[in-house]
Amino acid sequence: MSRAVTATLRVNGEERTVAFPGHHTLLEVLREECALTGTKHGCELGECGACTVLVDGRPVLSCLTLACQHEGREIETVEGLADGNRLGPLQVAFADLGAAQCGYCTPGILMAAEAMLREQPRPSRERIAEQLSGNLCRCTGYLKIVEAVEWAAAVRRGEDAGPPPEILFGHPEPGRPGGDAPGRRPSETASSNT
Amino acid sequence: MRNIDSAGHLRGESLYLDDLPELEGTLHAAVFGSPVAHGRVRRLEIGPALETPGVVAVLTAAEIPGENQIGGILPDEPLLAEDEVHYDGQPMAIVVAVDEAVARRATRAIRAEIDELPAITDPREARRRGLLIQPPRTFSCGDVDAAWEDCAYVVEGVAESGGQEHLYLETQGAYAHRTEKGGLRIWSSTQGPTVVQRCVARVLGLPMKEIEVDVTRLGGGFGGKEDQASAWATMAALASLRTARPVKLVPHRLDDLRMTGTRHPYSSDFRIGLDEDLKIVAYEVTFHQNAGAAADLSPAVLERTLFHATNAYFVPNVRATAYSCRTNLAPNTAFRGFGGPQGMFVMEAAIAAVAERAGVEAAEIQRRNLVRVGDTFPYGQAVDEPTAEATWDRCAERYDLAGLRRRVAEHNARDPVRKLGLAVMPIAFGIAFTKTHMNQASVLVHVYGDGSVGVSTAAVEMGQGINTKLVQIAARVLSIDPSRVKIETTNTTRVANTSPTAASASADLNGHALVRACSAIRGRLLSLAANELGLEAGSVDLREERVVVGATATRLGRESLDWESLVRAAFFRRVDLSEHAFYATPGIHFDAETEKGSPFGYLVYGTAIVLASVDRLRGTYEIEAVHVVHDVGESLNPTVDGGQVEGGIVQGIGWMTMEEVIYDEAGRLRSGALSTYKIPDVYAAPKRLEYELFETESGNGAVYRSKAVGEPPLMYGIGAFFAIRDAIRAASPEARPSLVAPLTPERVLLALYPQGERATEAAFAEGEESPAEVR
Ligand code: FES
Ligand code: FES
Repeated sequence: MSRAVTATLRVNGEERTVAFPGHHTLLEVLREECALTGTKHGCELGECGACTVLVDGRPVLSCLTLACQHEGREIETVEGLADGNRLGPLQVAFADLGAAQCGYCTPGILMAAEAMLREQPRPSRERIAEQLSGNLCRCTGYLKIVEAVEWAAAVRRGEDAGPPPEILFGHPEPGRPGGDAPGRRPSETASSNT
Repeated sequence: MRNIDSAGHLRGESLYLDDLPELEGTLHAAVFGSPVAHGRVRRLEIGPALETPGVVAVLTAAEIPGENQIGGILPDEPLLAEDEVHYDGQPMAIVVAVDEAVARRATRAIRAEIDELPAITDPREARRRGLLIQPPRTFSCGDVDAAWEDCAYVVEGVAESGGQEHLYLETQGAYAHRTEKGGLRIWSSTQGPTVVQRCVARVLGLPMKEIEVDVTRLGGGFGGKEDQASAWATMAALASLRTARPVKLVPHRLDDLRMTGTRHPYSSDFRIGLDEDLKIVAYEVTFHQNAGAAADLSPAVLERTLFHATNAYFVPNVRATAYSCRTNLAPNTAFRGFGGPQGMFVMEAAIAAVAERAGVEAAEIQRRNLVRVGDTFPYGQAVDEPTAEATWDRCAERYDLAGLRRRVAEHNARDPVRKLGLAVMPIAFGIAFTKTHMNQASVLVHVYGDGSVGVSTAAVEMGQGINTKLVQIAARVLSIDPSRVKIETTNTTRVANTSPTAASASADLNGHALVRACSAIRGRLLSLAANELGLEAGSVDLREERVVVGATATRLGRESLDWESLVRAAFFRRVDLSEHAFYATPGIHFDAETEKGSPFGYLVYGTAIVLASVDRLRGTYEIEAVHVVHDVGESLNPTVDGGQVEGGIVQGIGWMTMEEVIYDEAGRLRSGALSTYKIPDVYAAPKRLEYELFETESGNGAVYRSKAVGEPPLMYGIGAFFAIRDAIRAASPEARPSLVAPLTPERVLLALYPQGERATEAAFAEGEESPAEVR
């Protein structure tokens, strides 16, 4: 076992001084020492993307990087995405479209998408796919995820956008809850469960 | 209504097994698996592992206080191997240590001395050697042997489908700690809390009452955690019992892949006969199911293969025989569709083969033979709705099948490199556990004094949205806002004798029981209201949280009589605000002696059109579009159901195209990581996917007529195989694509250039490397 080190990490804007074995990954330290279990692990080998967090705004696989290398960096995890009780547009779009099923891949995908949307307010479908190509999801089949990112991008740009047309299929009555009337915005808050 | 769990998922607040707060003193376990696929154990040297700093215990079969047996259907699987090992990775010892890394590292210090025996990986070879899990089963109807005479076209052939790793993003896992009086509480990532409870009780030699199993939620299950969560939970429980400390066991992805089974690979022989009018007259099929080293759920999976051997078609003369073959692979297990997809694939392969012989489009044959009202399936269940044809026709019309076909032909005439192919995939999938006794569920509902409601059921939330549907049902029956309802964790002390969350049946079983429980509470509240208001029972109603008479809201004293005041009044009047209720699917039966009966509450139908393009130079392909009309009865939640359709299709496409489970001759898994086993990523999703949730009048057994949706859409993915195959044939008249899935780009390339395949084979024959190793 390697020596414990002490480091001050800045996570979601908050400084935390934590002690951990020097060889522990950022993933382990976030989950164990910082008790931020929103970041998931699906392989611990850099192959699934579930552990994606942002370091200085860039997506990083936290299972492949040592925590001790991140002193002084700005680390962001899924727990920092919402503004208090209010979900951000990306989160709302995911909820409204049903882009999170079991939810296990979701934190990693949100972080990868968030990094892109900050730099590219108008990503093409191809760009979205490229950005998410390292993130596996076994439940959704990806389509709703890509649509949700596209929709969130439009909302962030301040457009009064409806969800992408694809999801109109399969909903016999436009405007149903969960739904799909063109021009509808993602619902304003997602704090309640309806 | 959006998924009630999504806010938690999106904030990172949803708790999966490994996220649960750890108890003081928690230890971590790792499993040592057999290094060979088959052999006799001479010695297991655990000393060095035990001496590793940080290791607290190393447990072997000798430490098991009860029965060393985890087989559910047949008692043929030890928790920890003793004298013999039957698959590579079979658990032999559990290392318990202060942290996960130490435990995992210490497993490498264990030495097993094993006299190796030959490993069998091929189910046909197992059959030749008489290695069967159970005697073969045959479903038949009509007179197949006599029927060939009446056929204008008879074709026979071989069809094979491969395994499929579940690849739930959250691996298996369990966390156990001791309770008073020698009992255990176990959090398990399982689809079957009672399966785990029963298994732990048996291995630890304790009554089931001492074992509490709790399930928060799963990061995916897909059948992989129906039976195979039990071993992990039982090992954690054993370790906790022996060390007197809380023990968590969450296998590394590589261990999970190596030690758990997959969807069953099948190797099948078929013979199909058509008359001049392209009516299917006779169908004979022999399935060889690769069960792996133990029965696990294989007999039940095999049964469903037989049920779905003729897919959505009426065939008057059928003989379907199925062998469950014992091999030296990790026991294969449930996977979304549960043997149904494997049976349907062979039928579709047979139709493709005979269509080629007859020189017609497969779709001609498919459409002409779809089941109609009054037809029976070979096992005796009668068709009672016209939905097979209705969804086909709707799909053909809505997505312009004729036009699509024309465009494919035009494109192929123009483009010398990229060829398009098209296939239509109808499905018929029976809803119910095929073991009739499993079609039961119970729930427990509490209405609390403030009007909020807690619901416990047997259902496990694993991404399929069951919690959302249950909230909708409770809110609907009680006429309250869904935000008042909470779905509790699935726990064996609140709901006992649960059937696993499987067979697409959970929303129906638990939903029906929930309707009953909530109706009983509603009834009590309404009689109380009538009583208080001095009205006749039956004259008052609950609507949108208000007690009404006709359309008028009522008042009690100065207060308007709403949900909260009604519940308060009930509490002070000593009215029972809790209810347990039970549901057993009526009218289903199956006789395994005659292999006849009516095992399903109803069937789910649907049709998909799949378009694929193949690059004839590279052998690569893309799924251009999938158009689906899917029978939902009347969907309780289109967002949730639509998600199941999309996710199921992509998973089905993965199984048929890119997901290839490979074992070497020694029975070692060679595709045991995400780098070597490829599940669909975002690029593998169809470029376009459109579906209509088709409303039908049927589905009376479904809760609120919202038909089950978990498994059926996966089978649309089979269409991808035949669409790619169609494109291969468009690309090269010489191509002889075999009926072997998955149709990887490598197989496509070899099919496009059969000379190349022969050359490659010759090269392998000369060289010392076997194809399996090169792949
Ligand atoms: S856990 Fe980091 S990529 Fe899978
Ligand atoms: S939602 Fe389950 S893995 Fe993506």
